[in-house]
Amino acid sequence: MKCRRCGELAQVALPSHHTGFCAPCYETYFLRQVERGIHEHKQFSKDDKLVLAVSGGKDSLGLLLALTELGYTVTALHIDLAIPVSSENARSTVEAFCAKHGIDCHVLEMAGKGLPIPEVKKKVNRPICSVCGKVKRHWFNRFAYEEGFDVLATGHNLDDEAARLFANTLRWDQAYLSGQGPVNPAEGRFVKKVKPLCRLTEYETAVWCFLKGIDHVLAACPYSGGASFTGHKKLLADLEERSPGMKMQFYEHFLKSGKPAFEAAVKSQPPLNECSDCGFPSSQEMCGVCRIKRLLEA
Amino acid sequence: MVNIVMESTGELIQYRKVNTVIQLLNRLKLKSSEVLVIRGRELLTPDREIGTEGEIRIRHVVSRG
Repeated sequence: MKCRRCGELAQVALPSHHTGFCAPCYETYFLRQVERGIHEHKQFSKDDKLVLAVSGGKDSLGLLLALTELGYTVTALHIDLAIPVSSENARSTVEAFCAKHGIDCHVLEMAGKGLPIPEVKKKVNRPICSVCGKVKRHWFNRFAYEEGFDVLATGHNLDDEAARLFANTLRWDQAYLSGQGPVNPAEGRFVKKVKPLCRLTEYETAVWCFLKGIDHVLAACPYSGGASFTGHKKLLADLEERSPGMKMQFYEHFLKSGKPAFEAAVKSQPPLNECSDCGFPSSQEMCGVCRIKRLLEA
Repeated sequence: MVNIVMESTGELIQYRKVNTVIQLLNRLKLKSSEVLVIRGRELLTPDREIGTEGEIRIRHVVSRG
């Protein structure tokens, strides 16, 4: 296979685009896709104060480098979940990457916030991935809001978005479907949230990381076995192999045709309260994260 | 001998001959979108020939949490 742009030997085949690229041309393609996702969905500009949630995996570190190469000033924010071995590896990977590239890096330690995930796992009788996600979303938003950032970016990619859309559609969850997309606008104490990798698959991000020599965490979280999204991704990968480009179609057509209908349907939802403890938005008197913290303190 | 290293498990698989990457992926029951096929410092597209010697590394790309 030859590179579509320069005719050299291709290193990357992209069936969904009916094309292939050599290494240098692939890097150009990748950066253009990130930039296109940012502009098409009006995610942010170079004037915005931007913080990126960084786990140490390929998506967040790959995005961090891409945004830096595109000329954006980004602050990295890592959450240390206090999971033995796993969290230490993730944190050291993020800190080493940021030091190498001269990127401002903040670490929030969940042990210091009264929410070490191993203790949460012992006390909470729910799937730990869901609880851990809630804790991370709360603290990413809270840090961004309290530190005056305009935009909070995450490394969610097209596969993540398609799998989430598939899960939400299986349940016809109107509230989640109305809120899904590459941009969630700022509202009250919710900072604007964006997903600049919304046009790129996990494969494409992994290729970018390999070609750029990014040293990212390869091991899975020791608590993530059987996470439902992994199963959904496998189903979607089967469909994508039979019909290349299907994932992008599924997601883009939802954003264009489906999401507006769900947004209209949930407009009459009651407004969120302020959590009685932390003051951040909550559907109940006390937010889920503060309730978990209380449970651990009891 | 062609040595195949599965990075996720460290498992080593050996074949006397593998014609192409797509043949290797079929033998391993993997999709081309699920893994990077790495030889040295380069990535191999499904149509690339492999032959009778060398080391190929297989890196899974799907996040697992």
